[in-house]
Amino acid sequence: MFILRFLARRLGQGAIIIFLVSALIFTLLRVVPGDPVRLMVGGMAPDTLVEEIAAEMGLRDPIHVQFGRYMGKVLQGDLGESFVRPASGAAVGGASFDDSTRGERAKVLDLIAETAPMTLQLAVLAMVFALMIGVPIGVWGGLYPGRLPDRLALYTSSLFVSLPNFWLGIVLALLLSVKLNLLPAIGYRGFSYTILPALVLAVEIAPFIIRTLTVSVAGVMGQSFIDIAKVRGLSRNQIVFRHALKNSAVPLLNLLGVQFSMLLGGVLVIEFIFDYPGLGLLTINAVMQRDFPLIQGIAIVTAAVFVLINIAVDLLATAIDPRLDY
Amino acid sequence: MTSTDMPLAMAGPEAGRRISTRIWQTAFASVEFRIGLAVFVLLLLAALLYPELSGIDPTKMNIRAKLTPPLFMGEGWDWAHPLGTDQLGRDMLSRALVGLRYSLLIGVSTTVLMLLAGAMIGLFAGYFGGRTDTVLMRLTDAQLSVPMIILAITILGVSRPTIPSIILVLGLAGWPVYARVMRSTVMAERKKEYVRGAMVLGATDLRIMFTLLLPLVLPPMAFVAVLDIARMMIFESVLGFLGLGVQPPTPTFGNVIADGRKYLMNAWWIATMPGVFLVLTLTSINLMGAALERARNAIYGGA
Repeated sequence: MFILRFLARRLGQGAIIIFLVSALIFTLLRVVPGDPVRLMVGGMAPDTLVEEIAAEMGLRDPIHVQFGRYMGKVLQGDLGESFVRPASGAAVGGASFDDSTRGERAKVLDLIAETAPMTLQLAVLAMVFALMIGVPIGVWGGLYPGRLPDRLALYTSSLFVSLPNFWLGIVLALLLSVKLNLLPAIGYRGFSYTILPALVLAVEIAPFIIRTLTVSVAGVMGQSFIDIAKVRGLSRNQIVFRHALKNSAVPLLNLLGVQFSMLLGGVLVIEFIFDYPGLGLLTINAVMQRDFPLIQGIAIVTAAVFVLINIAVDLLATAIDPRLDY
Repeated sequence: MTSTDMPLAMAGPEAGRRISTRIWQTAFASVEFRIGLAVFVLLLLAALLYPELSGIDPTKMNIRAKLTPPLFMGEGWDWAHPLGTDQLGRDMLSRALVGLRYSLLIGVSTTVLMLLAGAMIGLFAGYFGGRTDTVLMRLTDAQLSVPMIILAITILGVSRPTIPSIILVLGLAGWPVYARVMRSTVMAERKKEYVRGAMVLGATDLRIMFTLLLPLVLPPMAFVAVLDIARMMIFESVLGFLGLGVQPPTPTFGNVIADGRKYLMNAWWIATMPGVFLVLTLTSINLMGAALERARNAIYGGA
């Protein structure tokens, strides 16, 4: 019963957030300069044609009218069609205005559904790498606060946050792909193409894991139930892995919820460098081409995922630690 | 927790200043802060002085000296260009150092703007509560759920990126976290006796907010903001890399690296050397920031 009420409340709040995000992006896109119709029809088209097409598409109506129409469709699950991308997935933009081969335009929802699994694959692998790097360093640092492992954790995390993802991507591609020929880097033709981008993304996430774990493990280890566990005769490993780690898992989960948007920002840049065909590359291209419906669609989907992840994180946190309240 | 809070709350801004000094002293005593500071000062001096003193113009082309490798690396290196030259014979060291200037300028001003915007919104939301709070916080949530970078490239991608617009966009995209922290501390603070006392004495809301609360709660936030300077510098370089930052021919880390990527195969140093500078600067700032954060947590007990 409590769970149902919790879910209803959070989903309601989430709906408001998503609505605000859509309104924000929608207004923003229409207020800033840059006419998408001009890009669609190409530079050669006469101004009258631009106006005609814009009026036909409803782009000259007042913003709130356009927004109402858009949200009406979104509620029915229709995120609209891309301005520039054809459904066949062939050439992107640049065609002249009277090109008859330009047929159906791609559905925004389809475009997102196609690329999202790729990004998910990248994100999950990156998260696994990040945990592999971050957990040992973080826990070790937390067990010896103020001593060498703790310093080491501080130094590694300071160094890792200081590595700009695009630069690290280039350097790693140069070393691992060009010089040593170990991993493929550019494009996507199989799972091995995910490893290098995921590694770069992991280096970006790891410092947050290290920092959170160092603080929370140190905090848990100072509490009386750990001392009692020693008296109960538990071995050090049992104490660390069964008690300390379990209690440190909650802040780690919360971190995931809060840092989700940062993670996505990293994905964006990394996919761009490695030409990895995921949601991030789609976003960058959409922005470059002023593909309003696609940008809006991505923003709405992202906000929805953000809301859902945060609800899931809170539910999981209460499952791990029953002391927490909904 | 309570033991540090109580005297602080009663003494008001005066105690706040003393606590700031204590945080500085604790941080300065740590090794990592000193290392960070030393490296940072060195880089700052180099960035401020080298391009002028050496008289090398970072945008001056010299085709005859193009693609000179850095010192002791490969053939044909030259003392005049310690980090080599790019495809147009421009000196990499002075390009990297001028890039550092822009990066620092944008990083610092963005962080200040973001801190101020976040603090104001959090202050109003936390102080007035009720409907103001709900509206402002829902706005904050909405903004937190759109990745900052999507917002930034959307705005800069469709309008012309100039230095003020970059600062504005990054600053306005980064305030939500500060607003949240500010709101929760102000909410805790405003229930305390000294605020109620000031109300009884007839102080206006604005007076309480700006002369009593702000000086007390802003410093602890400002210390953590040092870490955000580094974060914003990365953002600036990411924007530059995507072609949405300060435009060429002005060299910035982002656009130099993006440019050098095309020559990665035969001149690896163009893309990598400026990055080394960026990483050094960021590490030094992050070390200082981390030391300050730890000192603050030790003194405030994590508040």
